[in-house]
Amino acid sequence: MSEINHEAPQPKRRGFIKTLVAGSVTAGGAAAGLLGDVDPVDGSFGMRQAQAQANAGPVKMAFIEWQPHTVPAAWSKGIEDVLKSQAGVQYKLLDGQNKVEVQVSLMDTLINEGTSVIFLQPIDSVALAPSINKAKRAGIPVITLNIDATAPHAAHVEMSHYYGAMDIARVMGEKMGGKGDVAILNAPPGIVIRDQRTKGFVDGMKKHHPSIKVVADQVADWSRKKAQDVLATILAAKPGLAGVYGVNDSMALGAVDVAKEKGLLGKMVIFGNDGERDALESIEKAELTGTQYTDVFQQGRFAAASATVLASGQVPATAFKKQAHLLMPYVIVTKENVAQIQPSQRW
Amino acid sequence: MNRRASTYALPFFLALTFAFFCVFAPRFATSANLENLMAGYAFVAIVAIGQSFPILLKGIDLSIGAIVALAGIVTLDLSLIFHWPGLAVIPAVLVVAALAGAVNGLLIVYLRLQPFIATLATLAAYRGLVFLISGRQLFPELSTTPITDPWIVALDTYFDIGSALGVSDFIQLPGLPLSFVILVVLLIGFQVLLLATRFGRDLYAVGGNHEAARLAGIRTRRVTILAYTISGTCAGVAALLLVARLTTSTEALGNGMELTAISAAVIGGVSLQGGVGTAWGPVLGAFLLGVVLIGLTLLGVTQFVQQILTGAILLAAVCQSRLIAARQQRRTDAALVAGG
Amino acid sequence: MDSSTPVIEARGLSKVYGSVTALADADFRVMPGEVRALVGANGAGKSTLIKILTGAIAPTSGTVTVNAEPAALGSPTEMIRRGVACIYQHSNLAPAMTVLDNIFLGRQPTRRFGFLDRKRQREMARALLDLHGIQLDLDAVVSTLPTVKQKEVEIMKALALDARVLLMDEPTGWLSASEVAKLHDTIRALKTRGVGIVYISHMLDEIYAVCDTMTIMRDGRIVAQSAVSEMPRPRMVELMVGEKLARDASDAAHLQRKPHGSGEVRLRCTRLSRLGAFTDVSFELHAGEILCITGLIGAKRTELVQAIFGSHPFDEGTMELNGARVKFRSPGEAMAHGVGFVPEDRHREGLMLGLSVTENLIMTTLDRCRRGPALLRKRIEQVSRDAIRALNVRPADGRLAVRQLSGGNQQKVLLGKWLNLGPGVLMLDEPTVGVDVGAKAEIYSILRAERDKGTAILVVSSDLEEVMTIADRIAIMVSGRMVSVQSANELTMADIVREIGRKAA
Repeated sequence: MSEINHEAPQPKRRGFIKTLVAGSVTAGGAAAGLLGDVDPVDGSFGMRQAQAQANAGPVKMAFIEWQPHTVPAAWSKGIEDVLKSQAGVQYKLLDGQNKVEVQVSLMDTLINEGTSVIFLQPIDSVALAPSINKAKRAGIPVITLNIDATAPHAAHVEMSHYYGAMDIARVMGEKMGGKGDVAILNAPPGIVIRDQRTKGFVDGMKKHHPSIKVVADQVADWSRKKAQDVLATILAAKPGLAGVYGVNDSMALGAVDVAKEKGLLGKMVIFGNDGERDALESIEKAELTGTQYTDVFQQGRFAAASATVLASGQVPATAFKKQAHLLMPYVIVTKENVAQIQPSQRW
Repeated sequence: MNRRASTYALPFFLALTFAFFCVFAPRFATSANLENLMAGYAFVAIVAIGQSFPILLKGIDLSIGAIVALAGIVTLDLSLIFHWPGLAVIPAVLVVAALAGAVNGLLIVYLRLQPFIATLATLAAYRGLVFLISGRQLFPELSTTPITDPWIVALDTYFDIGSALGVSDFIQLPGLPLSFVILVVLLIGFQVLLLATRFGRDLYAVGGNHEAARLAGIRTRRVTILAYTISGTCAGVAALLLVARLTTSTEALGNGMELTAISAAVIGGVSLQGGVGTAWGPVLGAFLLGVVLIGLTLLGVTQFVQQILTGAILLAAVCQSRLIAARQQRRTDAALVAGG
Repeated sequence: MDSSTPVIEARGLSKVYGSVTALADADFRVMPGEVRALVGANGAGKSTLIKILTGAIAPTSGTVTVNAEPAALGSPTEMIRRGVACIYQHSNLAPAMTVLDNIFLGRQPTRRFGFLDRKRQREMARALLDLHGIQLDLDAVVSTLPTVKQKEVEIMKALALDARVLLMDEPTGWLSASEVAKLHDTIRALKTRGVGIVYISHMLDEIYAVCDTMTIMRDGRIVAQSAVSEMPRPRMVELMVGEKLARDASDAAHLQRKPHGSGEVRLRCTRLSRLGAFTDVSFELHAGEILCITGLIGAKRTELVQAIFGSHPFDEGTMELNGARVKFRSPGEAMAHGVGFVPEDRHREGLMLGLSVTENLIMTTLDRCRRGPALLRKRIEQVSRDAIRALNVRPADGRLAVRQLSGGNQQKVLLGKWLNLGPGVLMLDEPTVGVDVGAKAEIYSILRAERDKGTAILVVSSDLEEVMTIADRIAIMVSGRMVSVQSANELTMADIVREIGRKAA
């Protein structure tokens, strides 16, 4: 099975939209390509779909999120956009309440309910694996978003955490003139994407700008307010800081707040990660220097598109020998190209 | 409502709610769902039983969620870092959990801290300790390694009672989770402890009138420390079952479980005034919560409404016991005037 | 058992709490089969002596021997083991447990591994009940029983310990005459088995009926010990309250008394009742007089005053203030009508110990010291200065935290807070408990001054000396009923003591 891997380059020449369209086509084609290697004749899932059609009951799909937040909300919207155009599909959004036990219990309920496809943002990669296996045994494909699980499943759609972070490092280094000290405002420990985004950044710096040093890596809890406090403390110890990388936009914006307050805006290069609306606006105002933007709505739509294909009954979930892995196309957004992101794409 | 009737109110209400959902919620009355209910709430019930001991003593244990996390992370560390066999990990984890509970007891007895304060402090301390010793922090690759030790994984078995009883041709029985069996064993054990041993009598005495118990020569300190140790140990058992189900442990495991356990205990008739309660009450309380939450999810009710309803049930349970107490007081007053 | 060895003997017992001496150098002894009465006014030191003998507290100095063997002090377990049992005034039962379990609290018989031997427990209880002829439902939950029955359970609990010494602290508070007689029969039966009994009571009739000997205490010391038959009642009363005071005080006070005050009825209560508290209480309170309501603990005087004040309203009956029908449903309402109440427990219900003297003084009259939401500092300070001077609060600094003052000065601040209100009716509950002699005298003259200004004053007091000193009229309550209201000139101390100790019919 092919791994869909969006190739590195920045869309310098090509329009942004074109990139995304190209990306979608590739992804869609790749989804179709999913069917290539697979043995389509295992009975169970097909039977379920046939049953559903025979009963003329609605096809049920559900998304179990980590907890309410802008990112999963945007995913859900994207999923709904695709699904509502299809007749006979019921979709609901469930809150994992930030507890693994709740997600596991919800998985059990959905499996019992006869859901056809489950979207999942696992709180923990290992803890949800048994539930995913259980779903597989029941013939239900599971599509994970952003956070992978250790049990192989139908598809995983994620923001390009690692490669994106590498690119952030590259662009950020260029803005910094290739030298200087950099601080990282990080997520709480124990979350897989934190490691991916941090490692990508560090590797990227080593590869593109070896003279730039990471002098601090502190936890700021994904929070803007906490980031303000943490950065202020770091600055007290290292006043000559030339760059700050916030592992998500909220923390980066917190860094911007502190820089504004201390009059350091022109002197510090600040990058975030995610591409939230607030971050884009901040870039336009020349406060935040840049971020990695992923069209999260699009991410939801991709997931839903894959789901529809899987639910068509042509491909039994149990037949997957290797998991589909979709890396979302992204753009490293700076002042130069922020205008290309349309309002309808801002989340 | 006399005392007899009030004891049957909760089982009755549970049966009623269960029947309601069987009729109105799609797929509720299926063997798969019953399995989910048992597997999903057995560990909650175990923690609720543990929690009822401090509450019986007019105290509270806010740290049980943290002890669950602590026990879970110790399980992970011992299995994946030190590669202990499951047979050794299980007792070790129980010892750790018991000690964590005992610390609460010691703080309350020797430092004379209020239970609320003492367990709030240990809550914070244990949560911090969990991050400090977590194998997933020290060795990041462990956060993607499942625990595969056969003894631990075996805690998540399901027994096929359908075939065992030979009825699987006629009716599909739910697989019986081992966690549920363990719950039942603990339930029976603790209920016997409460009703048929001197220790049980002493517990009720200390909770009902601490000074009277002390003056009667009961070793109130020992009773208190033991009660909190029991609470901690139950958290440890629940942690092991949870880790088996998840094949891993997270640092945030059991977050907020203390409130669920307290709710289940209060719904189950354990009085916050101390001196009143059973072991089976909290178990029924926990499963009532489970039935309601699963049933509402199957009915398609949003999770916000679910939380509101859970609060309403808790309120109803408390009001019911207050009403009974008030009626009792009035009757005693009237008898007093009549006789005096 | 050798009948010449005391079952319990205490020598030189003292207990000092900071600067307060609760008990000084007490020698106390009970022989087998002896029923010794322990009498004295409130605060005379009886409770302290009992607590030491039962191990609830440890004395500052002194020794206790049980059956001629020294006992470790301050340990309830030890004393129980040695056979010293006590029935306290407050309930020592676990309310949610059954009678059967309470009788053997902490000592239910067990088989191996700590499993209860229910059968043996029930048999033992049955035997005990039959032996003493008491009827109790072993499976009843204690909190559902009337107080009468709860007292019986407590007695059974003590008897189950096969006690050698039984201490009873005001055991007959809620018992009817026939039940008291039954209790006395039980006591006589215990006597024949060589049990020593200490009987603490104000009920003179009971003491003269069942006790062999008596010990009289006053102000923390034992002032007399003798056989009951050799102590006439008037002499006993004199010893309890102090001979000189008994004679002189009433003479001097006679001149200052103004029964019925100015004659105008300020407050009239008719047939007030509250379920479980008091029944059918009627009296009148006049402007310019001090009415003292006295009685034993358990007479429900505090409940009566709380009902008048509105913090726990009465169920039946009527109340008139200055001729108008009123019923206060909250203290706020009472205060708005000019009725003040100085509660008994000044620490929990009266003063904010952490706040300053000034802040406490103006608490009830804040409305007069503000304009809109802003407080008028100058006026507040003026009010505080005036009050401190009038009451002679020492040290005379309004900024000091109240907890730093002595008990007497704290009480003056509490009094001042209510006097600031300029109440038409002022009620006080045990106003000089824990107050030194000097401050007591000052408080009495403050009250007399208020009375002369026309305020109607109601004082609940168990201190007979105090009652004889300041009362214009005296009302006596027994078990929730007001049994008499008379001018203080018509009563002697001995009369009061006798009335209080009589059972309500």
